[in-house]
Amino acid sequence: MAENETYKLTDNETYREVAPEEFRQECARLFDNGRGRLRMMFAVDSRETGEGFNIYAVFSHPGKDLFEIVVLKDLEEKEGGITFPSITPKIPAAHWYERQIADMFGLLPEGHPDPAPLVLHGLYPPGVYPLRRDISHDQIRGLLDEDKEDLSSFMKVKGEGIYEIPVGPVHAGIIEPGHFRFSAVGETVYYLDARLFFTHKGVEKLFERMGFDEGVKLAERLSGVSSFAHSAAYCHAVERMAGVALPIRARAIRTFLLELERLYNHIGDIGNMCAGTGFAIGYAKGALLKERLMGLNERLTGSRYLRGVNAPGGVLADVLENPAETLRTIEGITGQYKSFIEFLTGATSHMERLDNAGLLSREIAMALGATGVAARASGLDDDIRTAHPHLYYGQLVFESHTRMKGDVFSRMMLRADEAACSLAILKSILHKAKGKRLEGDIALPAVEVPALGRALGYVEGPRGSIFYYVSSGRDGRPFRVKPRAASFCNWPLMPFAVHGNIVPDFPLINKSFNLSYSGSDA
Amino acid sequence: MLARILYNIIGRKQALPESELNAMAGEGDILMAAGLKPGGMGRIFRRSVRIRQVDAGSCNACEWECTALTNPVYDIQRFGIDFVASPRHADILLVTGPVSAAMANALRKTYLATPGPKLVIACGDCARDGGIYRGSYAVTDGVDKVVPVDAYIPGCPPAPARIAAGIMKIIEASSKIK
Repeated sequence: MAENETYKLTDNETYREVAPEEFRQECARLFDNGRGRLRMMFAVDSRETGEGFNIYAVFSHPGKDLFEIVVLKDLEEKEGGITFPSITPKIPAAHWYERQIADMFGLLPEGHPDPAPLVLHGLYPPGVYPLRRDISHDQIRGLLDEDKEDLSSFMKVKGEGIYEIPVGPVHAGIIEPGHFRFSAVGETVYYLDARLFFTHKGVEKLFERMGFDEGVKLAERLSGVSSFAHSAAYCHAVERMAGVALPIRARAIRTFLLELERLYNHIGDIGNMCAGTGFAIGYAKGALLKERLMGLNERLTGSRYLRGVNAPGGVLADVLENPAETLRTIEGITGQYKSFIEFLTGATSHMERLDNAGLLSREIAMALGATGVAARASGLDDDIRTAHPHLYYGQLVFESHTRMKGDVFSRMMLRADEAACSLAILKSILHKAKGKRLEGDIALPAVEVPALGRALGYVEGPRGSIFYYVSSGRDGRPFRVKPRAASFCNWPLMPFAVHGNIVPDFPLINKSFNLSYSGSDA
Repeated sequence: MLARILYNIIGRKQALPESELNAMAGEGDILMAAGLKPGGMGRIFRRSVRIRQVDAGSCNACEWECTALTNPVYDIQRFGIDFVASPRHADILLVTGPVSAAMANALRKTYLATPGPKLVIACGDCARDGGIYRGSYAVTDGVDKVVPVDAYIPGCPPAPARIAAGIMKIIEASSKIK
């Protein structure tokens, strides 16, 4: 248990309160002309404790394991509503966060270049802000007016030969709902306007009426194939708030399952890209390998989606119980994975379609705050596992992978590299468990959540960084829970990656990112 | 069908036999709605059923399990069941999710676009009654609050074997197979 001592909690979180006139300057300082990263931005309704509305902006700096949080206090009440100074003109990555804050809290970003509604689709009358704490679920429901649904504000591209292709929200495949407008010239996409948030389920407000333990279930259901990553980030936040350190075995198990989740996602995604090029055999092979991994998930945890394992204070299933047997399965999967990748990279007709499709430049990825595979395939080294190592990552030797080009090919090969890395991590943990070097409890007996606490939690999920901010009220119950899914950062990249490609390549480009609608819509 | 061709190329049969599929699915938890008439569909569904899957705000786990139905292990096409791209071509709407407020209209329109006779299956715990999202301002607490539902497949998410066995059981209950 000696390793616990180096695992200090909330040591890497600093809060700084600023007045509105300092807000822009302080954020710009932390953004450091693009060298810093905006991790998330959200509002809190603290009127009941006499603190009014607050806005939090979380920044980190590559090479430093530190989160610097700017807290904006004393928002100004002006004619037409409560406003805050928009940081989007300086920090483009803030653009969706600020629109989300405007929709959910009625706080208006002053100086935002495009302050259009984002989340609510005009389903509620003006003046209804769901995340304000003085309005209940039932009250908001009573005001719902489906006939007012407004999907009109699409970018219109005019010019000779330009036509519009509307798609969705009900798509042709078995995928999630969203509405896309392609403005195309012949076969070439000139502009893509995406309307999302069709799966918005009011999750943030639901968290507030659950207990911290119960909230794990909701975190697991934010995004199906990131169930474990979301619940791990949520539990991490609750544990940091409580100031507890996990036993080494619990940390190793969480790390193990995070990598298992990454592995089945990456392999599934590589297979799904074959569906994007119509390469049926590659797709079938990928689906088969993914199914084996889902079977392993079920055998180890009783859930194909690794649900019901995480809890504040540790894990509920001792996944490392039979390391030798699991190791044999992983060895078998490694062999199948290798031959799968060899088979795909040898299939010229498939690989040629990936080359140069869906290019995303490093500049765009950086400006819009891309995360995960989308960022790393465009040359941005952003990996929570190495930048902010926690759980068992600090004890493992591995490196985060990057590719420079930013096309579909880069994203596929990056996934392949990372899958190989995940397999190595899984084996390393199993060997340690076999050598009895991870002995101990799998969970703490109980986690006491303090009143008026707050903390950040984070993990590197299959799609990129996942952040949770949690705070407790005077009664020690959840006061504010803000999840930030990886896809929320990555969706705004799509119009840039699709621009100049042909319409039939859109499904392929989309699959190369594999973004979650539900996680982003929350 | 496609999967069958693929077996020959992959070189090995992977598909689970029907009996094993049923065993994996568990028993007695498919719920038929009172309105579902036994044999009401006559012989029309016999060995050729087309499904349109509609995500009405799910977390996406159910969709991945539906996608898994077409993989070489479950290979639902061998039973004459397949997923189609348009409600116009569908006999069954397989709806997942608690029906988010923003998807309610789209679901109604999809239902109207599906030619009769048709069945609606609510797949997953939140499609049944809102599940964990029940009571949220942004959901409608289940598919049957928006369109008529003929049967429910529970689970969060239901495993592919359960969805496959459930669909077949529902088809059997609503058709004269022999």
